[in-house]
Amino acid sequence: MPWSPALAGEDDGKPRRLVSIAMCMDELILRLADRDAIASVTWLSQDRRNANMAQAAKGLPANNGLAEEALSYHPDLTLAGSFTERSTVALLREVGARVVEFGVPETFDGVRRQIREVAALIGEPERGEALVADIDSGLARIPVDANRPPLGAIILRPNGFTVGPGSLVDEILRRAGMANLAARLDLGPYQQVPLERLATLDADVLIVDSDRFAAPSLATEALDHPIVAALSRRMKVVSLPSRLWTCAGPTLVDAVQTLAAATAEVRAREGRN
Amino acid sequence: MSAALIRAERAYGPLVVALGGLTLAATFASLAIGYVHLDVFAALNDVAHGRASLPALVLVELRLPRAALGCAVGFSLGLTGAAMQGLLRNPLADPGVVGVSGGAALGAVVVFYSGLAGAFSLALPLGGVAGAVVAALALYALVGRGAGTMTLILAGVTINSFAGALTALALNLSPNPYAAFEIMFWLMGSLVDRSLPQLWLALPLMLAGWALLLSSAPALDALTLGEDTATSLGFDLKRLRLTLVAGSALAVGGAVAVTGAIGFVGLVVPHLLRPFVGHRPGRLLLVSGFGGAIVLLGADIAVRLLPIHPELRLGVVTALIGAPFLLSLIDRMRREA
Repeated sequence: MPWSPALAGEDDGKPRRLVSIAMCMDELILRLADRDAIASVTWLSQDRRNANMAQAAKGLPANNGLAEEALSYHPDLTLAGSFTERSTVALLREVGARVVEFGVPETFDGVRRQIREVAALIGEPERGEALVADIDSGLARIPVDANRPPLGAIILRPNGFTVGPGSLVDEILRRAGMANLAARLDLGPYQQVPLERLATLDADVLIVDSDRFAAPSLATEALDHPIVAALSRRMKVVSLPSRLWTCAGPTLVDAVQTLAAATAEVRAREGRN
Repeated sequence: MSAALIRAERAYGPLVVALGGLTLAATFASLAIGYVHLDVFAALNDVAHGRASLPALVLVELRLPRAALGCAVGFSLGLTGAAMQGLLRNPLADPGVVGVSGGAALGAVVVFYSGLAGAFSLALPLGGVAGAVVAALALYALVGRGAGTMTLILAGVTINSFAGALTALALNLSPNPYAAFEIMFWLMGSLVDRSLPQLWLALPLMLAGWALLLSSAPALDALTLGEDTATSLGFDLKRLRLTLVAGSALAVGGAVAVTGAIGFVGLVVPHLLRPFVGHRPGRLLLVSGFGGAIVLLGADIAVRLLPIHPELRLGVVTALIGAPFLLSLIDRMRREA
């Protein structure tokens, strides 16, 4: 099928055939764009176990992030992630498609910037501002206890992965009164850590990914290792779905809230002792 | 009886004691060596006094299952290798080479990813055993009694590649997005972050397999005199074959279900130890079990000490040692022929 941009019927300059080939972009356009302006989102976003907007994504045509598929929707704007296959983006550009890539924000400022940029691109700047204001007011409602030293926290994700310093997750932990102990591990490019190194960090809080798929895998089996249950008698174990803090959006507030509550609980217990 | 045979006869007892002692030492070393410094004695003291200290938790929940599984899985692989070599009267028979491990991995994969393992806990190792039985029967049907080396290797290649392809297919059919990336574990094996429940699942089946294999020692010795002589000595060869197939399937199936397939241990170890037991296949069994345990524990300590992250799969290490060994063995057999 030869590629041709959809004829823009409107003259307001808004893209009318949005295609997203990255999960975090799915979430943003589902929040910011008119539903009938979305031509396709990725299949990942239709699974409520790993996507926040699965309800909204249901019924929309799904793609697997392939160039051919994206083109079949005749997009006037394709949104990709910086982790999208390089060849896919190159191929789309080669045939003249308009592709804009977004990275994973590493700070709350980056989150605000990304939301505004996407909103501007799809012609919905007011909705972008509203979403940012929503996040900021949510964050403002969560109390900060700056006088107490942060609690040591470490994250356990499928396959024994943790999250290293210098990420949005790091800032979320700080905002919730925690310090990411992964900084103490010499992680290198791979953030995969043997359980015994995680366990012996002697953290105050262990944050375990709570996403489980219907079918089993070795990757998530690691999250149910008996040592996690044993550690829960020594430290606070928080179960958190990773979808809450993977993409730029208002669920980041929920993540901060859950973690701040855990911090408060640990401190209350310490206070009693 | 030649002088060498008499020496081997006398040395058998001390050899068993020495290898058994080395196996214990290697198991303890595996407990003591890891990614973090752990005072094993202090941790043991905590365990003995019921203190749930961090070192005690790491020792019991992580180091113990890893060391015990390393020991038991290595023992299974070494013992099965020796038994299969005795049965097929071919030094190239090894659960990995002939495809029994690959079949076990396929059985375990089907049970694990279909969710059947969640239904009742023994399903996973039994899946491994079922896969191993099918592979062993297929091998026996293809190779028959007079196991020509060429036929044995070709049958092994066929069973291995077919089981490997079906394993990849089963993983791809899983709706879990992680599953497709987990083939390396099943084909190359690993002891990373194994747990006590996994040890308790696999160990009873492995123990049953060991008992069956070790009980076949006298019959295997008799078999070296030829099938007719063995039969006239009162050994039921049909029963021997059944016992060995069942024992191999239990030992390898149970092992592979919790650690994935680890190759070459069952090939190299019996070969190295054969001269020390006067080439008697019956006596080769127990010492090969110990030898397999020592080799696997050593490999597992090595992958934790090597500065390669994420950790190397165990099958990679055993193949690096085993594959050149197999080549030299084939070369020697060809020149002798």
